[in-house]
Amino acid sequence: MRIFLPLLSVLFSSLSLLACSAPDRLSVSGSTTVLPAVSRAAESYSANTGQRITVNAGGSGSGFNQLAEGQTNIGMMSRDITNGERAQFPSLTFKTIAIGRDAVAPAVSSEIYTAGVTALTLDQIAKIYRGEILNWSVLGGPDVDIFVIDKEASSGTRQTFMDVVMGSSKADAAGADLVIGSNNEEQTALTQSNAAIGMLSIAWLNEDVKGLSVIMENDKRIAPTLESVKNGQFPIVRDLNIIVRNDISPAAQGFVDYILSEDGQKYVTASGYIPIR
Amino acid sequence: MTSPALALTVSENPQDSRGPVDGVRTYARLSILVTISIITLILATLIIQSGPAILSTSDSLLTTQWKPSEGIYGILPMIFGSLFVMTIAMAIALPIGGFAAITVSRIKSPRIKRLWRSALEILAGIPSIVYGLIGVAYVSIWVASAFDLQSGRIILSAAIILSVMILPTFLSLCEDAISSVPAAYRENAQALGLQDYEVELYVILPAAAPGIASAALLALGRALGETMAVMLVIGSLDRIPSPLFNPLSSGQTITSKLGREIGESAFGSMHFSVLVLMSLILVALTISLTVISQRLFRQGRRG
Repeated sequence: MRIFLPLLSVLFSSLSLLACSAPDRLSVSGSTTVLPAVSRAAESYSANTGQRITVNAGGSGSGFNQLAEGQTNIGMMSRDITNGERAQFPSLTFKTIAIGRDAVAPAVSSEIYTAGVTALTLDQIAKIYRGEILNWSVLGGPDVDIFVIDKEASSGTRQTFMDVVMGSSKADAAGADLVIGSNNEEQTALTQSNAAIGMLSIAWLNEDVKGLSVIMENDKRIAPTLESVKNGQFPIVRDLNIIVRNDISPAAQGFVDYILSEDGQKYVTASGYIPIR
Repeated sequence: MTSPALALTVSENPQDSRGPVDGVRTYARLSILVTISIITLILATLIIQSGPAILSTSDSLLTTQWKPSEGIYGILPMIFGSLFVMTIAMAIALPIGGFAAITVSRIKSPRIKRLWRSALEILAGIPSIVYGLIGVAYVSIWVASAFDLQSGRIILSAAIILSVMILPTFLSLCEDAISSVPAAYRENAQALGLQDYEVELYVILPAAAPGIASAALLALGRALGETMAVMLVIGSLDRIPSPLFNPLSSGQTITSKLGREIGESAFGSMHFSVLVLMSLILVALTISLTVISQRLFRQGRRG
């Protein structure tokens, strides 16, 4: 007992120390699309003010739930809060704050892009996801089966994409061959395949993962570039949001204000998105 | 088990050691209580939280459709996926593990045996996320090119990774079972003029069978519960493969489903409750496997 008592007391006191220091640290979590901008801003904010901030990935749906359940101070969402989500927490009020704009591009493996498929109509994309177009040759590409990559239902990228392409953010993708979660996973899956199509935030496009242009009804091809998002021509766009509860702490509000400030908005641009102001 | 021994010490030395021993005993009892209450608490939570799903009048539970946005929660694809992945993983791991265990049990040098044991321990100690990353970076690509597939994120890849992960558990328990067969059995069989393979096959293996079976069941339990590695390579498609036993299609296990979606579901919602129900099924399966394997192990000891 003589050994155990001090040991226990040390244990408990360190626990209570942990508990005390916890509120000082701000926690932000949610969408992997919003994350790059927020984590860059968090780094500089921490350096300037000494406020410690943890930024976690998890997806838009998870960001909302963690905020609602009080596990995080600020949520990140690449879509709006749905009515269903609000209804689950009737006693809470949430505020959505747009910090930037982004486009979701239909993205394909580089092999398909080089083979000549560089633009599709929204209808063609919808048919691919419904499982009605199965081979790239139908679309002027090589004679290989289309490998259709879908995302988790709560993903903000998916909801934005499906809303524009299929007409409903919850549309079923019967043609899907693979379901993945985050932007990183999507990028890897597109790179590893040589005949895949997926959906990707434009900030995540690169040499191995090419964004397709969208052929509009007037036959005009709109490329997924920052320019076409800025001038409103690219059809699949969305706000990148952070969400807070109305009982937000002053420390968290300080960070939100910083992201919206001129200085903070630089990191939205640096992440490949369009600043809100 | 320890309390009679402690009591004995006390009665021998009543003056100077009563205090500390009493303290240790109380601490030991408290520890048992804490452990038991944690287990009870987990089970109770699972049962209570899955209540809404069990009691729901919706008959979508035993279907193959999973659409949380429409309130349709069919859990069959996940249950099928878990059992299917586990079966393939066992089919790969059992023969490899079994033969390796026989070989190792015949090693005479204690130093090589020790080396071997520590290698197994390292294998068992590698975090599952590492296996998952290896699966994404290499195994799924190898599988894809071997079968000429667009993507290697399929049930087979998950099963291969899982089989490697359960190998250390199975192998070391299996080897224990074989090594604990009395040496006289082997010597007698050899004296009777049996060939080496006959000794192993007809004498040693039957004698070690209950132990091997219990090792297999424990490995099975680990296979069922593995999450991260499986989640990364299985493809996360909530569909029953078509044709039914096609390991080259993407799938979903209970654990990968939970890993993907538990954070997205609101606490207390039907979505959450169905996910908890699936984990309850998983826990029930694992507990029964453990109980059966313990029974077998005890049988093996007696026999």
